[in-house]
Amino acid sequence: MPDLFDLPFEDDRGDTEARREPQRTVAEPRKPLTVTQLTIRVRDLLESEFAEIWVEGELSNCRTWNTGHLYFTLKDAHSQIKGVIFRSAMRYLKFRPEDGLKVVARGRVSVYEPKGEYQIVCEYLEPQGYGALQLAFEQLKTRLQDEGLFDQARKRPLPALPRKIGIVTSLDGAAIRDILKVLRRRHGRAHVVIRAARVQGEGASVEIARALKALGGVPGVDVIILGRGGGSIEDLWCFNEELVARAIALCPVPVMTAVGHETDFTIADFVADFRAPTPSAAAELVIAATTEFTTRIDRLSDRLRGAVRSRVQALARRVHVLTARPAFAGVPGRFATRGRHVAESTHALAHAMRGVMLTRERRLQLIQRRLDTCDFGRRLGAVRTRLATADGRLQAAAGRRVHHADMRVRESIGRLESLSPLAVLGRGYAVCWNAERTAVLRDAAASTPGDRVRVTLSRGELECEVRETHPPGTNREA
Amino acid sequence: MSTPSIKDFEAAIAELDGIVKKLEEGDLPLEQSLALYERGVQLSRFCHARLEDAERRIEILTERGELKTAPPSLSADDPDR
Repeated sequence: MPDLFDLPFEDDRGDTEARREPQRTVAEPRKPLTVTQLTIRVRDLLESEFAEIWVEGELSNCRTWNTGHLYFTLKDAHSQIKGVIFRSAMRYLKFRPEDGLKVVARGRVSVYEPKGEYQIVCEYLEPQGYGALQLAFEQLKTRLQDEGLFDQARKRPLPALPRKIGIVTSLDGAAIRDILKVLRRRHGRAHVVIRAARVQGEGASVEIARALKALGGVPGVDVIILGRGGGSIEDLWCFNEELVARAIALCPVPVMTAVGHETDFTIADFVADFRAPTPSAAAELVIAATTEFTTRIDRLSDRLRGAVRSRVQALARRVHVLTARPAFAGVPGRFATRGRHVAESTHALAHAMRGVMLTRERRLQLIQRRLDTCDFGRRLGAVRTRLATADGRLQAAAGRRVHHADMRVRESIGRLESLSPLAVLGRGYAVCWNAERTAVLRDAAASTPGDRVRVTLSRGELECEVRETHPPGTNREA
Repeated sequence: MSTPSIKDFEAAIAELDGIVKKLEEGDLPLEQSLALYERGVQLSRFCHARLEDAERRIEILTERGELKTAPPSLSADDPDR
């Protein structure tokens, strides 16, 4: 190929057949060629001689024009040649030509007539000593990383309760079946919206990008799984394309990638908000939060019931304690009965509440089981309406019973407290006991000076010594 | 206690959490306890409803932007079972 650089503009004549013809023409003074004519002949000559050549060199002055064509210079230590790749051919390049890259180019030599420059028109470029795909991957990765597309700060959290789960994948692949299987198993009610897209081959990246955009715009879709099963690097290539990376970055809802291999990361994985190793794992991750919330709510509901139950039981104990006080012993029987009644109704209240809740739960479970086995939206709607009505009635009934029982308990407790002999002490009365605190003193004659007595006040007790006794009729002041 | 005050799921859970804790501390008068319980039941029902709200449905978004029910081959029950 060295004669490539010797060819058209040297003036030594007559070396080759190809050169002789134009020179003979020039020798005719009366028939000068126009510049254009000459140029066209030079072009024809070069194009026929170098219709398909391979040339290696280093890229420099790479510049993409508005038209989409890429212009560059290919050089080695001593020479250089201008080159162009037209947009139509650019599309098939897996990597992005950059200054400094060593490449092998395939193309033809031609002439750019307006400037009289020869150049190589490339149909194909290949990075030297590097797989084109590998290079493309590294290039795009670096570029997007520099743009900040992989930043952790950009990652959005998964929604706790996605209203609808979007899926972008092929309808023919294993991925869609795997995802749906997991969703069915783990969360029977998942609402799924699928947008089919080819996930390998030419044009797949365009379809994926369009699918992401379309799904992202569907109201209620709160997360999108983008995935496919495993495959060769060529099969997975669309997930390494810029178009897909950008579509993920622009997607209004979090995107979770699930591309085949456990080990290989694609560019899409780097940009995505989450990366799952397989489509099944993606489905698990998406509904994990939902499961977690369900558990949390169930636990809170249990604790709620437990807390109220123990509160009621504590009140029952208090009533019991009140009725058992020694001071209560002399209270007429009907109050004791009343106390028992209170204790019983408190117990009944707790029991009733438990019963009502159990019934309601069983009923819900029953209905739920029926709902789970029933697949048709229409029937579901009807059952749900009935459920709502039944639930409402149950709730109201429970509420009424609880309220009624509550009123009774509070009334009784209030009355009990006002009847307690101890309450009288609050008004300034005191109770005087014998020293052993076994009997209340009612008669001064029962004591003699020097006796010890105890006096119960509203708050606390006094231990006293009797100094004088004044039986009735012997009033000291009289 | 009306429904509009229950705006969103997270808030509902947080409130329910608070109610349960208050009740568990156990120092409240019975009346207040029961009022809280009622509210708690309401919240827990709201949360459950929200969880169960989603219908099991599989749809396909077509090229034309329409939502169609997925073919039985996709929406059918697990063939492995």
